[in-house]
Amino acid sequence: MELTEDHPQDGSAPAAVVPPLRRIVVESETVPIRVGDYAGPPDPNYGRDPWQVGTGTEGEPVWVEERMRTEDLSIAYGDNRAVKDVSIEVNSGEVLALIGPSGCGKTTLLRSLNRLVELTPAAKRTGRIILDNQSVDDFDVTQLRSRVGMLFQQPNPFPMSIFDNVAYGLRERGSKKPRRKILEPVVVDALERAGLWDEVSSNLNHPALALSGGQQQRLCIARSLAVSPEVLLLDEPCSALDPISTSIIEETIVELKSEVAIVIVTHNLQQAARIADRVAFMYLGDLVEQGAAGQVFGAPREERTQDYVGGGFG
Amino acid sequence: MEAASFNEVDLQEQTLEVDRTDRRVELLLGALASTILLLIAGMIIFVFVKALPSFTHNGLAWFGSGGSVDDQLMNIFNSPAEPENYVYHLRAWPLLYATILITGVAVLISVVFSVLSGIFIVEFAPERLRKTIEPVVKLLAAVPSVIYGLIGILVVVPFVAEHLISEGRKESVAYVIQLDGTSILVGVFILTIMICPIMIAIIVDALRAVPDKWVEGAAALGVNRWRAMRTVSLRAIRPAIVAALVLATARALGEAIMLSMVAGSVGFAPNPLDGFTFFLEPARPLASTIVDNAEGLSVAPFGQTMYAFAAILLISSAFLSFAGWAARKSFSRYTLGAR
Repeated sequence: MELTEDHPQDGSAPAAVVPPLRRIVVESETVPIRVGDYAGPPDPNYGRDPWQVGTGTEGEPVWVEERMRTEDLSIAYGDNRAVKDVSIEVNSGEVLALIGPSGCGKTTLLRSLNRLVELTPAAKRTGRIILDNQSVDDFDVTQLRSRVGMLFQQPNPFPMSIFDNVAYGLRERGSKKPRRKILEPVVVDALERAGLWDEVSSNLNHPALALSGGQQQRLCIARSLAVSPEVLLLDEPCSALDPISTSIIEETIVELKSEVAIVIVTHNLQQAARIADRVAFMYLGDLVEQGAAGQVFGAPREERTQDYVGGGFG
Repeated sequence: MEAASFNEVDLQEQTLEVDRTDRRVELLLGALASTILLLIAGMIIFVFVKALPSFTHNGLAWFGSGGSVDDQLMNIFNSPAEPENYVYHLRAWPLLYATILITGVAVLISVVFSVLSGIFIVEFAPERLRKTIEPVVKLLAAVPSVIYGLIGILVVVPFVAEHLISEGRKESVAYVIQLDGTSILVGVFILTIMICPIMIAIIVDALRAVPDKWVEGAAALGVNRWRAMRTVSLRAIRPAIVAALVLATARALGEAIMLSMVAGSVGFAPNPLDGFTFFLEPARPLASTIVDNAEGLSVAPFGQTMYAFAAILLISSAFLSFAGWAARKSFSRYTLGAR
């Protein structure tokens, strides 16, 4: 297998060292070296070119297209800078995992992508966040957040029926509430994509809070998917779940990445290795290193990354 | 540890020991609860038995209208001393009407006002303002009603009499009733002020208990604060709103002194056809009627009539509790134990 550098300008080839974690990475079916679709020639509307991330089975180049990026993004709570000059891209068709010890700013970075961080009083931002070549500040918040969905650490379905939960975003989008008949196909589709349909198809009117934790989290995925987002932000979505629910959610994430760009914050390195295509390691607000999952786990360039993924601290 | 120490006898003895203590507490608490139940049941039966003559003499007409209720009460009070000649004739509609009207309007206004102020206090008020408002609201909830009555009769009633009641208006209804400022308007106004703090206090506590993650989840779907409040938080606290409603209504139903001071204390049924004058007409709800006539209770038929009013109030509050329970139950369907 051939690893291609995800930062073409960097040029340095991954070192040939084989630390223990690499084994997990290589054996995992879902992990990197995407045999993705050829993204096609550069889209003139995009501004930036899609870039090659690897080579497909037939030797054809594999491209990803940028969905979002931050440019020198800094976020501060009062005097405390939680994110320092971070520039990172979020691409369609891949899972980007943000890893790092607690308090390293990864959740803040994630929450800034849909401007949810602005709910925190005293949060300040410098630098730009671009969604489809347009600054996120130019979007109406409602519109931005339906294009950039989010999932939280704790499953948070609303105290309503399963149907109403999934339909919530659609109903609240306009001033006129669509009828159930119109909503139904969208709700069913969202539940199917979240892998929950088979379990709840017969009791859409049951309270969502009666579902198990894992089901609730998948319901939240469906709730986000219902408003057809382009990017899905996941903030440690499995930290409150048992291993079986976790693996179901992970499967769902991997299935979704072909249609939605996914950014996941996780404390769980194995999880990042299992599902991520690209990994960014953050430490004390700095983006220390980003690269293909295999490279970051297998041959980290930075010493701090090496220490963290090797279990030296964190 | 030795396996022998776990033999069955030991285990059983220990379990019994614990159970005996539990059992004693259980019995004691059960006895206390039963005593309270018995007291309440006894009170209800007593009131109904006492009230029976008034209801049986009038039949369903008791609830109807006809003649002046104050004159009827006077006749009952002046009944001959012989039990067979007791007068019971009563058409209580004006009193019932006043109770429903004043309580209903005051509760309706307060629930809207309280929900909005609750949202403001929890979600929008600046920290410093919130820290002032909240204790004040809780303090207001504990103010004795007679103080409201005093302020009402010394400040609000004269104000209404001076600024809202013209000579022409007085003359327009002079043939049925005198307008002196004591009115359902003042009654409803002060009752609203009185019950709002209770509702606000309950609603604020409930709103604060709504998990942040729900509001955050709504925000992440692009919903603004006000809308998230309405569609998620308010929905979630509907059981608490009902509880507040029940408490406030119960207080309003039972409010006697304040209303007898400011609402005119006349057994009159204000007529909505009078236009704005309607609000300036006096009335007297059931609870005030009982208080106002406390000195006549020694006259047997009069006392029984008062018991009849008390019975109606009891039934209403029982019905209220039941309706509140049913509403809370249906509203809690989706909330489960989450809050």
